[in-house]
Amino acid sequence: MSLRKPSVLPGFGLTFGFTTFFLSAIVLLPLAALVLAAASMHWSDFLRVVSSPRALGSYRLSFGASLLAASINLVFGFVIAWTLTRYEFPGRKVIDALIDMPFALPTAVSGIALTTVFAQNGWIGRYLEPLGIKVAYTWLGVTLALTLISMPFAVRAVQPALLEVQRDLEDAAETLGAGRFYVFRRIILPTVLPALLTGFTLSFARAVGEYGSVIFIAGNLPMKTEITPLLIVIHLEEFDYQGAAALGVVMLAISFVLLLAINLLQAWGRRSRVRAAH
Amino acid sequence: MSITLDQVTKHYSGAPVVNDVSLDIGDGEFFVLLGPSGSGKSTLLRAIAGLSGVDHGRISLHGRDVTHVAARKRGVGLVFQNYALFRHMTVADNIEFALRVRHMRARARRQRRQELLRLVALEGMDNRLPAQLSGGQQQRVAVARALAHKPEVLLLDEPFGALDAKIREELRRTIREVQRELGITTVLVTHDQEEAFALADRIGIMNLGRLLEAGAPHELYSRPATRFVATFLGAANLFLARRTADGIKVGARVMAAAEHTPGAPDHEVVAVVRPEEVEVAPSRDALGSRFMGHGVVDEVMFTGAFERLRVRVTDETGAPLLAVAEGDINTALQVTRTRYAQRGFEVRTGQTVAIGVRRLHVLPTPLSSFTACAASAVRAESLSRQTLLAELAARMKTRIGLRVEPGLGVPEAGCEAQGAFVGATVIAGEDGCAQRAEWLLQRGAKDLLVLPAAAQAPQRVLIHWLGDAARSATLGVSASVLRHVPAEAVYVGIVTGDGAGAGTPQGMRELLDARSEAQAAHGLEMRTELGFGDVAQELARRLAESPAQMLILGVTDLKQFAERFRALLDGGAWPVLIVQRAPS
Repeated sequence: MSLRKPSVLPGFGLTFGFTTFFLSAIVLLPLAALVLAAASMHWSDFLRVVSSPRALGSYRLSFGASLLAASINLVFGFVIAWTLTRYEFPGRKVIDALIDMPFALPTAVSGIALTTVFAQNGWIGRYLEPLGIKVAYTWLGVTLALTLISMPFAVRAVQPALLEVQRDLEDAAETLGAGRFYVFRRIILPTVLPALLTGFTLSFARAVGEYGSVIFIAGNLPMKTEITPLLIVIHLEEFDYQGAAALGVVMLAISFVLLLAINLLQAWGRRSRVRAAH
Repeated sequence: MSITLDQVTKHYSGAPVVNDVSLDIGDGEFFVLLGPSGSGKSTLLRAIAGLSGVDHGRISLHGRDVTHVAARKRGVGLVFQNYALFRHMTVADNIEFALRVRHMRARARRQRRQELLRLVALEGMDNRLPAQLSGGQQQRVAVARALAHKPEVLLLDEPFGALDAKIREELRRTIREVQRELGITTVLVTHDQEEAFALADRIGIMNLGRLLEAGAPHELYSRPATRFVATFLGAANLFLARRTADGIKVGARVMAAAEHTPGAPDHEVVAVVRPEEVEVAPSRDALGSRFMGHGVVDEVMFTGAFERLRVRVTDETGAPLLAVAEGDINTALQVTRTRYAQRGFEVRTGQTVAIGVRRLHVLPTPLSSFTACAASAVRAESLSRQTLLAELAARMKTRIGLRVEPGLGVPEAGCEAQGAFVGATVIAGEDGCAQRAEWLLQRGAKDLLVLPAAAQAPQRVLIHWLGDAARSATLGVSASVLRHVPAEAVYVGIVTGDGAGAGTPQGMRELLDARSEAQAAHGLEMRTELGFGDVAQELARRLAESPAQMLILGVTDLKQFAERFRALLDGGAWPVLIVQRAPS
């Protein structure tokens, strides 16, 4: 058993203890406090708060825009990771470093920067305006902000997996008669699929929790461009802690269900492959 | 012919990795490309597979020119060192990959898969994932997969590299059996000579991007034509010997009979003696073979079936031994003895023994050794340390002698040279060297290298000769040089005149003749280019085109040699190797 194996770190007992302690102190206890705060509400109050049209609208926007952002990052994150791993070009290292910038930037700064560019009189916004495309202060702006801040997760998750796809595999497939698209569909994609899903999950999780960058570009019109985290803050500003907690619990529940679903999907994919092998 | 390569060349950032390789591989032949790492053998294999393009030359498979055909349309099967199995697919899916791509029906696919699994002895493994198989089994799957679409050619890139010795041998046998059963033309790339011997119908040996020799394993082993093949394919003791009227002389003793053209002068040759052809005995009389000299045993190593000795030759008449392995210049003779021989005569370190040679093979290479020649000992010494010369000598595993020629400083002096010239003579390429070259050539130097102090290893070697008598010798020397430098060879045919005249068709014919002679008689692949005008000027112009070039120039007539080539030799920054042969 793993207990017996010598390892660099002190034994299983100690490390497992630390793991549970940290998880409890940092994740589980605060979450429990959140649920408790919500639980002190009366059942009907809770329902009223979480199912108000304004709240429902905010869920739609928050989760819809996050899913959209994660999907966009799934595709373009893959393309970026592909470019960075497969090609050698001047400035590759610089671009590689730039990927992490959204990590380092305070999200509020990202939001302000995006607004500057995409506002009606911004650098890009002014050219989109005549075309009837409004970015700032619409759901499009929200999606854009969420895409920006969650992009590094998608790229960084796929990059190592792509590095591992040996060139030989593609060469082998090619000599066996496969065309480029076939090689991509049958060899590259299946190999990086788990990493892609992980990237998607991480992007999505990051986007759902985002607050700082969105509030600048969203315009925050109730029912239209108001995200759930903002609604929570509004409740807090009105000293309605319970309402805020209620909304938090709903977010928590939806996020948990979605993440669990993705993880189960992944596990199921792995299992079905192993099953096929027997 | 199943695979035909014609002057295939591939450059990698300027330097040729595959350099003018021409080769015919017959139907059903098992051909092994053998060479050290970086010799271009894998690149050549990838070029045949279509995975990397070529810069020059043509590739045909079964008479179909596929030089510009994509890999997936070439109909080849390729097996990689790291198996390159699709890890997310089962064995069955891996093997059926090529069939699926071709939209074969499921039933036919299954049938073909069963056939292939039987062929590689993996029946019943259909539903395993690659990760559940051992390395040897994975490589068997890779072989089956590569054969699924019934390719006309099977290519194997170091297929046993990642396996341990025992499984390697087993898989080797499987591959050989499969190859025989299907009669499929096969090319295998390896750096392991044992593997090459075990599998090959024919072996092609590559070094520095060139295909040096190709032939049956025992032919190559017993009669190598080049130093590299002699030392790379098994161990070899290299000697500088002399071909004389009496036979091949190593030191003062005749070691082997040799055909000798009557009246031809003695000359230096390179002789190969395999370690197993060396005999040691307690005394000269106890030898069953020709006596070469006495020696002291430096090292005794037991390796199981054989015993390896290193014997230092102590006789004063002992022949100069050349290097035996890359970079390892030593003067000890390598000997291997069977258990039987060991029982007959037990040998200890420090013991004095008599050395005999059972069989000696003379390499046809014309460049045996170098002699740095100058008017003073100091200058000769410094010349012998020139980078290019040192590099050439190291690659050729030969030595650089020193020779002081006091008359060299005053070329006008009528005095004679200090004895006969041995091997290739080297002089410094500096002002007045054209005069000195002429002086030496007139006094019997045959191969003369004029070497500017700054000369580096050439990337391009230009070849030209004046007078047909020097043709064969020039090609031979060129072949010898080009085996040891990674450079492209270009024969420059020059039509004197303005170029528009009637000389052109004649010139073209000469080019083609030169090329085929170089190929047939010397194993040298070279390009051909046609130039016009004055020979010396045209050559100088071409040399000036780019740095890192060298000229090999054959001459028959020394009249006004210094006059004509003064500009080329004195002012130039290029090494020039002059090959002089008198018309017979």
